[in-house]
Amino acid sequence: MRARARLVVEAVGPRSVIRVLESAAPLTLLPRRGTRGAAVVHLVNSAAAPLGGDHLTLSVEVAPGAALRLVGVAATVALPGTGRSATHLRLTIGDGASFEHLPEPTVVTRHADHHATLTAELTGTARLRLRETLVLGRKSEAPGHLTTETHITHDARPLLRQSLTTGDPATDQSLAGLAGHKVLTTEISVGTPPPPAPVSGDWWSLVPLGPATAPRGYLATALGPDAVTASARLGAALAAATG
Amino acid sequence: MDISALVLADSRYPGGGHVHSGGLEEAVSRGLVRGERELPGFLLGRLRTAGELAAVFAAAAALLPTDWAGLDAELDARTPSPAQRTASRAQGRGTMRAGVRAWPSPVLDALLSAVPRPHHPITLGALTGVAGGSPADAAAVAGYLAVSGPASAAVRLLGLDPFAVNAMVADLSAELRTQATRAAATAALPAADLPAPGSPGLDLLAEAHARHHKEEVRLFAS
Repeated sequence: MRARARLVVEAVGPRSVIRVLESAAPLTLLPRRGTRGAAVVHLVNSAAAPLGGDHLTLSVEVAPGAALRLVGVAATVALPGTGRSATHLRLTIGDGASFEHLPEPTVVTRHADHHATLTAELTGTARLRLRETLVLGRKSEAPGHLTTETHITHDARPLLRQSLTTGDPATDQSLAGLAGHKVLTTEISVGTPPPPAPVSGDWWSLVPLGPATAPRGYLATALGPDAVTASARLGAALAAATG
Repeated sequence: MDISALVLADSRYPGGGHVHSGGLEEAVSRGLVRGERELPGFLLGRLRTAGELAAVFAAAAALLPTDWAGLDAELDARTPSPAQRTASRAQGRGTMRAGVRAWPSPVLDALLSAVPRPHHPITLGALTGVAGGSPADAAAVAGYLAVSGPASAAVRLLGLDPFAVNAMVADLSAELRTQATRAAATAALPAADLPAPGSPGLDLLAEAHARHHKEEVRLFAS
């Protein structure tokens, strides 16, 4: 299945108004009515997805000055199907705009063969808050193959580019990769001042994002044997940011 | 392989690489690497993550692009850990200091005026390219140094048998060869499109090392 969904939010005075809302099964976008300030849209998977062979793209544009919170989706990555599945979240966040997306964990099941790409283009004082939690397999399950790619640019300059591949025991188990942990969780925040120096503890850190001379935000990272531990460690990192 | 690659990979090259353990000292101090049993996995994982990134950028730099600041910014974006950035730039600086004497070139002058403290992989690539080596040569040097440094650090930190550790590095030959070929194949891509393999575990170890380094005496800078 190939699907392209699209969402455009604009600022009208103090309110953020949804101008374009194009769902494309299995990506269903549901606006929440009666919100003040930021627009809120729920992303719902209306079919079992992604299945092998699926290519799903969601493009989100938050125009200058507008604010959007995208809610959902609980994802279990890649059920068996024909070939590799791919999802692409494309964000364009204008000057003074903000976007927040704190989805549920992505579980990389045994048969997964999935490629998840995130591209975010930020301009000026755009703000972005994005959380990602990867769970390598359900309980006592070996993880499948997942490649995630993150590309964040600010005023056309690179801020963060990272790719990660799971399913190769040599890196999943290695201290260089996930160090044998089952859960990796990260939170990216752009447009928020980072603490003056990096902060870290055992298997978590919070580091400035962007050039050392002009940081634009922070990246919090935590590894854990389970979601509860990883989430607590991420919480410790984020506490350092809000200080 | 070009001779410049041998010179750069030589442990007697005066670039200051011997003070970096590539995260191994932190792993040893936390009891995560105790001896010969855990070391091969550490080295292989390092090669496939941080080593892959180093190989990719060394190969790209060996083509001697004109936009050095752009290449540097792209590597920075792929190196989120400040401790890793500092270690890379420290090694780049040391390597460049010896390199400009060995292979003086206006290309290196241009690099240093755009980026006064270049990253290690970019330095290795630029020096290899200026000396007449290929992107694959540069990638092989970067990949090799990504494991040979921690391997010799392991001998010092854990008192391991140097013969056994040397054999572990030699065991990575096939992996290093295919990595160099792969990195050479992406060398001509626009810098923004170069691969960006992450190394979350190493990044966390590097940050922890930097924190502990301020609190207690450590043998290695990273």
